Formats: sequence, structure tokens, C-alpha cells
Amino acid sequence: MTTARVDVASEGGGVRIAIAGEVDLANAAIVEEQIVAAITNQVTGVSVDLGGVDYIDSAGLRIFFALGPRLAGLQITLELVAPVGSPSRRLLEVSGLPSLVTLQPPMDGAAR
Amino acid sequence: MSTPAGTWKGAADRLRDIESVTDAGLARLSVDDLLDELLDRVRDILDADTAAILLLDSPAGQLVATAARGLEDEVYQGMRVPLGRGFAGRVAARKRPVAIEDVEAADVVNPILRAKGIRSLLGVPLLAGDRLLGVLHVGTRAARHFSPAEIDLLQMVADRVALATQARISDTERRAAVVLQRSLLPERVPQVPGLEVAIRYSAGGEGEVGGDWYDLFTLPSGWVCMTVGDVVGRGLRAAGVMGRLRSAVRAYALSTRSDPAAILDRIDRMLRQFEPGEMATAVLALLEPSFERLHLSLAGHPAPVVATDDGPATYVDAPVDPPLGVAASIGRRVTTVDLPPGGVVCLYSDGLVERRSVPLDARLRLLREAVSARPAEEVCTTVMVDLIGPDRPTDDVALLTVRRLDFDSAEPLDLTVPAVASSLRDIRAAVKRWLATIGAGPEDVMDVVLAVGEATSNVVEHAYGPRGGLVHVRLELQNHDVLVTVRDSGRWRSPRGHNRGRGTSIIEAVTDELTVDRRSDGTEVLIRRRLEAGPPR
Repeated sequence: MTTARVDVASEGGGVRIAIAGEVDLANAAIVEEQIVAAITNQVTGVSVDLGGVDYIDSAGLRIFFALGPRLAGLQITLELVAPVGSPSRRLLEVSGLPSLVTLQPPMDGAAR
Repeated sequence: MSTPAGTWKGAADRLRDIESVTDAGLARLSVDDLLDELLDRVRDILDADTAAILLLDSPAGQLVATAARGLEDEVYQGMRVPLGRGFAGRVAARKRPVAIEDVEAADVVNPILRAKGIRSLLGVPLLAGDRLLGVLHVGTRAARHFSPAEIDLLQMVADRVALATQARISDTERRAAVVLQRSLLPERVPQVPGLEVAIRYSAGGEGEVGGDWYDLFTLPSGWVCMTVGDVVGRGLRAAGVMGRLRSAVRAYALSTRSDPAAILDRIDRMLRQFEPGEMATAVLALLEPSFERLHLSLAGHPAPVVATDDGPATYVDAPVDPPLGVAASIGRRVTTVDLPPGGVVCLYSDGLVERRSVPLDARLRLLREAVSARPAEEVCTTVMVDLIGPDRPTDDVALLTVRRLDFDSAEPLDLTVPAVASSLRDIRAAVKRWLATIGAGPEDVMDVVLAVGEATSNVVEHAYGPRGGLVHVRLELQNHDVLVTVRDSGRWRSPRGHNRGRGTSIIEAVTDELTVDRRSDGTEVLIRRRLEAGPPR
């Protein structure tokens, strides 16, 4: 069974959510639930740190494809943090998701 | 009422009685039939109403009713008498004949004897040398004095019974232990792509099994766990402990972080808690998913031998921590060794290197010289020929040889697993392992794992209805390309829900070629990915 850890920390008026482990079809729903539960109506911004993620695929990205537009409608910012060279970074760069949400550090070139 | 000793038959009759219980024809009977027949004859000769054999269950310290005439209930009820208590218990404790003329005056614990109205009893011990095997006793409803000649005769029968049961006990135990041991040791270990595994196991010591075990298995994280151990002692008991230990190693390896010392610590605690008095030695080694390095810990066990292409084999320079089950020990240590492609590691039990009359150092040198960086089966054969030769080993020998394959010899990876979400993690672990064996770089690994993940995830979501099905994954190396085939036998439906169907474009983005062949009997996805640098060497 695929497992991931979701850690939540308040940061000023926002919330920082750190995900570690693996996210695929088997646990995407569980991870999504934990992320959504961490975002109250009061926060102004959400930062999701994917630096600790060893594996994530399109089943995991769906969480953010759904979350991005919803948070935008609520005037809550969403940024994804994925270090260059990490598995999540690779996926984000080829997924088209950065056109919807902010990616940190910013993309500089085209995807392979 | 009592039968006077004078009516005891003459010398000729006595001789006939003795012949009757030592009759060579009895030898052809099975042990159970022999016991019944002897009880019949002894009852006739001694004119007794009951005759019974109780055998010692030594761990329990009890006598168990095993065969009886006139007292069959005892056997059916599995009657047990504690040593030293009651009539049979007293005979057993004294290891001498005991006669009671009137049980009313004595303490007879057995309610069955009382219920049968037994007045007089004569019991003799079943002895093998000095060792007590059980008790044979006869009883009469009439009060009766047993003469020395009668006591001698019963003891003669007892000796005969002792011989037969001793053979039966050891034979049953030995057979049970062999069956148990076979069922506990894996006949084949799992095939791990990129590794070659060979095993030798030889039962020493006159066919009585020992407690040696070996095991090799993969973990969902991609680590490979290998172990060889030795439970102190022999026979059925040792084989049982060995089986429980082997299962425990698997369970703890699955639930513990990849740390051989932590796993051994838990086994140690388990042994001391649940099997007090048992002791075992073991080597536990964990091979990284990349196969690059081996992390091992020794619990009172000799160090493995490692051989690479670079030179002669060497013993892993690892500290030996206390055996399992002895005492709480803190800080078991872990030693890490490199295992380059083509490298061989040999784990073995001490039965391989210990030989009476030969210094251990000489045997260890012999083993080191027998191990080299060659195919695992060849290494095992050479080791067994050089160290065991034509002589039956005095102790069990377990030998586990693992070779990390060269990139050139990497076989394709073939997996067939249920198309369910919980399979995805195992598929990725296997793919990572295989990619390591062909020397793929980190970016290649990331992209191929992602491509396989997307393709198999698609099968899980779209190929089958509620009945489910299987997904086949194949990876092969073609020159500098990895060719991935993902196949199912379902009928696809179009994606439902939001944000579905993105997997295909991701696969295209991270690989060089994607073709999808959708037929009525299933779908085959072909993915080709050129390795960044090409395999090293």
C-alpha cells in the first residue's frame, strides 16, 4: 500500500503543507482529504511542499488540478514547492499544472 | 482371597512364559500392535485384570497413557499422571518396581483405577539405559501378593517395550522433524531480477535435523533481505523454533525500517519473551534497492564471505554481537559493504566451517579460497565439494550464495499482478530494482518509473470492470533503449470524472516513443526510452 505523510503548519495568515512519501492512485484520495482539511476558510494562502515526495503521478496531480481553481475562486493563493531535480518537479514540469498554480522555484526553461 | 505365591507355576511354565514375551515373531509387529500384544500376554501370564503402558512426556513432566488392556478408557481420555505422584508417578520417580497389595491404604490418584475396583498393583519402569521412558503396570481386582519371579517377568516385558517405544519415539520425531523442516525452509527463493541466488542445505548428524535456516525475500521498498541462522539444539523442537524465527524475521523486516540491527533486536526480544531458554545465531543482511551496498549485522554468527572481480574473496570485517535469546543487548552494530556488479556474497551456518579435529582457521581459509566472483550455483558447488567432500557433515549446513549480475546479463523483467491500486507500489519497486541492474542513471529511473506508473495506473482505472483482472509489465534492454510493455486483457472504457486521461501525455513527455494497441481482447502499451548515458561498461 502506498503511503504518504502530510504535515501541516500555520505560517502567518497562511498554511504550509508538507507531503512526504509516495502518492498514486492507491492513496490520492486520502492525501487529498488531509490537504483539504488543513485549509480553513480563514487562510489567505496555501503552500504545498512536495520536496519530500519520492513518487507522484497524474493520480496525485489531480488533487492540485482540482484544488487550484477552487482556491482561486476563494481568493486563496496556492503555490507548489518542488526542488529542481526532484521526482515531483519532473512531473510538474511536463504536466501543464504550472499554468494553473504557482511553482517554486519558478520554471526557467521548457520541459524536456 | 490372596493368591498364594506357591501356586506360581513351575520352572517349565516360567520358561514358556518368558518365551511368550520374547517371541521373535513379535518383532514383525508394528510398535502399536506389539504393545497391545505384549499387554495381552502379560495379563494372561500374571492373571491380571488390567495392564497399561504410560509413556513419559518429558517437557511436561507427565506420564501419558499410551496403551492399555482392561483400562482402555485411560488411553481414550489421554490420561496424564504427574511424575512422582500416584502409583505410576512413584514407579517413574523411583525407577524401580513398586508393588501395592492394597490400594485402599495407598494414594492412587487415578480415578479410573478406583472405578475399576483395582486392589493390587505392580508397576515397573520402562528404561533405556538410565533414561526413563515410561511405566508399565498391571492390576488385579482381587488382593494379591506379587512374587519376585513375577516382578522379574514384568520387568522383562518392560525392557522389551522400552526398546520398541524408544525406536518409535525417535523414529516419529525424526520423521516429523524432517517433514517440518522441509515445510519451513523455502524450496526455492524468489527470483529477483538482477540477482542470482543459489542455496545448499545438508542435514548432518545421523539424519536428526537441526535448526539451521536460510531465507531470502524482497520487501515492498525494493530492499532484499537475506538471512542464515542456526537454532541451538537438534530435533523436532529446534526445527519448530527455527520455523517461528524465520517467520518472525519476515514479519519484522516488513515492519521495521531497513536496519538489520533493529530487526535482530526485535527477534532477540521475541525469543527471550516467548521462547525462553532457546538460543540462536544469525546473520541478517539487507541489500539496497540499487544492489550497490549490503548492510549486515551478526548475532553470534560467522561473517559472510564477499568476492568481487578485483581479487581474492574476503570475510566481511564486521563485529560479532551476542547471539539471539541470551541477554538484553544494547547497540547491535551494522556493517556496510559494497557489492559491485558481478560480486558474490556467501552466507552460511557454522556447520560448514566447524569440523572436529580440524582447526577453525584452516576451515575458514578453505572457505575463503572456495568463494570467487563466479555464477552463484558454481560457487555453491565448489564450496560444498571443497568443505564437505564425501563425508556426511556432523552438523546441519546451510549455504546461501547471492551474486549481483553484470549489466550485460540482465534478463528482462516480467511481472503479472492484479490490476488494483495497491499493486502500483510493488510494480514501481520492481521496476526501480531492474533499472538499477542495468545501470540506469537517476533521471532515467525517475522517468521510466513515472511512465510505467502512469501506464499501469491507467490499466487499474480503465481496463476492467468490477470483476477485475491482471496487468502484465515487461521491461527489456535493447541496445541503449529500455522497452516497456504494459498489457491487459480488459475492454477499455473512456475516462470518467474530471482531470482524468492526463497520464498519456505525461508518458509522451518523459519518454521517446509511445504506442497504444487497443484490441477487443485487451490493450498493449509500448514505451521506449533512450537511456541518457547508456549503460556503464
